[in-house]
Amino acid sequence: MGLLALLRKLHSSPTHEMRILLLGLDNAGKTTLLKQLASEDVSFVTPTIGFNVKSVQSKGFKLNVWDIGGQREIRPYWRNYFENTDVLIYVIDSTDEKRFLETSQELYNLLEEDKLANVPLFIFANKQDLVAATNVGDIAERLKLCNIRERQWQIQPCSALTGAGIQEGMEWLCKNMAIKKKKK
Amino acid sequence: MKLKRFLLRYYPPGIILEYEQGGKVKRKCIDLLQLQKDTNIEIVLGEIAAREPLISPHRLDQVRALIAKLRERLEPDYKKFSLFKIMKAHLLPLTNLAFNKPGSQFITGSYDRTCKVWDTSTGEEIHTLEGHGNVVYTISFNNPYGDKIATGSFDKTCKLWSAATGKCMFTLKGHTGEVVSVGFHPTSSTVSTGSMDTTAKLWNATTGEELCTLIGHTGEIITLSYNTDGTQLLTGSFDHTVSIWDTETGKKLMGLDEHTEEISSAQFNFTGDMVATGSLDKTCNLWDIRTGKVIANLANHEDEVLDVSFDWAGAKLVTASSDTTGYIYDVRSREPLYRLEGHNGEVSKAMFNPQGTRILTTSSDKSARVWDVNSGLCTQILEGHTDDIFSCAFNYDGDMIITGSKDNTCRLWRHHV
Repeated sequence: MGLLALLRKLHSSPTHEMRILLLGLDNAGKTTLLKQLASEDVSFVTPTIGFNVKSVQSKGFKLNVWDIGGQREIRPYWRNYFENTDVLIYVIDSTDEKRFLETSQELYNLLEEDKLANVPLFIFANKQDLVAATNVGDIAERLKLCNIRERQWQIQPCSALTGAGIQEGMEWLCKNMAIKKKKK
Repeated sequence: MKLKRFLLRYYPPGIILEYEQGGKVKRKCIDLLQLQKDTNIEIVLGEIAAREPLISPHRLDQVRALIAKLRERLEPDYKKFSLFKIMKAHLLPLTNLAFNKPGSQFITGSYDRTCKVWDTSTGEEIHTLEGHGNVVYTISFNNPYGDKIATGSFDKTCKLWSAATGKCMFTLKGHTGEVVSVGFHPTSSTVSTGSMDTTAKLWNATTGEELCTLIGHTGEIITLSYNTDGTQLLTGSFDHTVSIWDTETGKKLMGLDEHTEEISSAQFNFTGDMVATGSLDKTCNLWDIRTGKVIANLANHEDEVLDVSFDWAGAKLVTASSDTTGYIYDVRSREPLYRLEGHNGEVSKAMFNPQGTRILTTSSDKSARVWDVNSGLCTQILEGHTDDIFSCAFNYDGDMIITGSKDNTCRLWRHHV
């Protein structure tokens, strides 16, 4: 991928492309999720210091998925990628209970951003394959997701490592996007 | 008319005559674009003497020495490059980079919203240009002067900075999309910006005032460049076309519309009578801009053409492609000379050194490669980056290379001393 490819993925064509932003704290599993979506080997994933971007075909859509590094010092740069976002996917490490507060603060900061106003939110409660994982209902409650009223949202349990739950998530996403794109 | 003095231009070779006429000092240039390392000096000298009335017989010895000096500077240099320094340049991936003309400084842009100015001899950071609200994507020195820097950002503005102090002089506001290409007029009087909003704009580089908007493209403008004398500006767009504009009036002079996919790269040759364009339609076109017609459709690549570049004299052309190769073409015969094979990923950039003896390519295989123009063979692989290389540059003397990567670092490579 060169710089030109990045420019091409900056704006999606209105009818059959989607720009998807993948955010979440460090170690949430965003890059593993991205690789799983692209059917790539997920056994070696290192912390992202920057971003990864891949194009995935799904249900007649070309999904340009941007995975942005989640470490604290680079979170201020998430704003670089907000423009033209069709869907925000927020990834949570369901086993990292200590940081549920931190991840919910970051999420609510995002929801207040003008450039993400009305952008549908899809939350993956990741690492559900691990015993220590908190279940989706509890996470929704801890993050007070029911307070989100101004946009469409959905939470989905998954394991980026095994791939469980991801396809279901993407189907929901494409179905809802198809409706939205038709309305435009 | 009275000849006052000679000035030399090494790349491409030329002798500039400074003379007095009617009390005014004027300049004219004798271009020696055909000069090669084995060219017979006496023949060139004879041609100049016959053609140029300013050069009287008693000047011939002097001119002979100048030609010899120019020829000497074209000698291919077989030294290898070695890594001089790794600069942990930025917090986030780099975008583009550029040298000033003397090569004493270079600049890097980044996703971390800054542009940094570096001292080439030490690899130390001189300034961090802070102020943009989003990715600094495109950057340029006002070469040959090198006292100003222009930065174009995803925040939809362009900023002009003093290279000496690192202070922002002007913020050029007006575009409604990301600014992704920027260029200084050869005299540094104006600066042009190309944007994802499908327009280009010309600005006064001294006052920051907007001069005009170039409207006509229907897709994002992703590349722009001036011809050698600065009378025309070339813009390439995702709308599959390339346009040529009069820089004085802002009027569109010509639209070049034959490609069937997005333009990736476009460039004038040195004499400004030809344009080369690369497209995602897998081909490269050579255009005669006196007629606006394609004179050659170079269709050797098997996948998207991502970059095209003339050598400094305009005799050869290099292309880079997603098919992992490059091609060197002879511009006059329009025939491919060599296929550059070796990269293991798409080749995103290809450029000549100013001497025209080497080509530098970068690839998503994390390496940059140096190629011998006269054999098409890879002479060196520059390895070490841990992610895609996005950009690269030669300095004017051709003995230094910088590479900028998605791995947040840039690397400075120098000839073995």
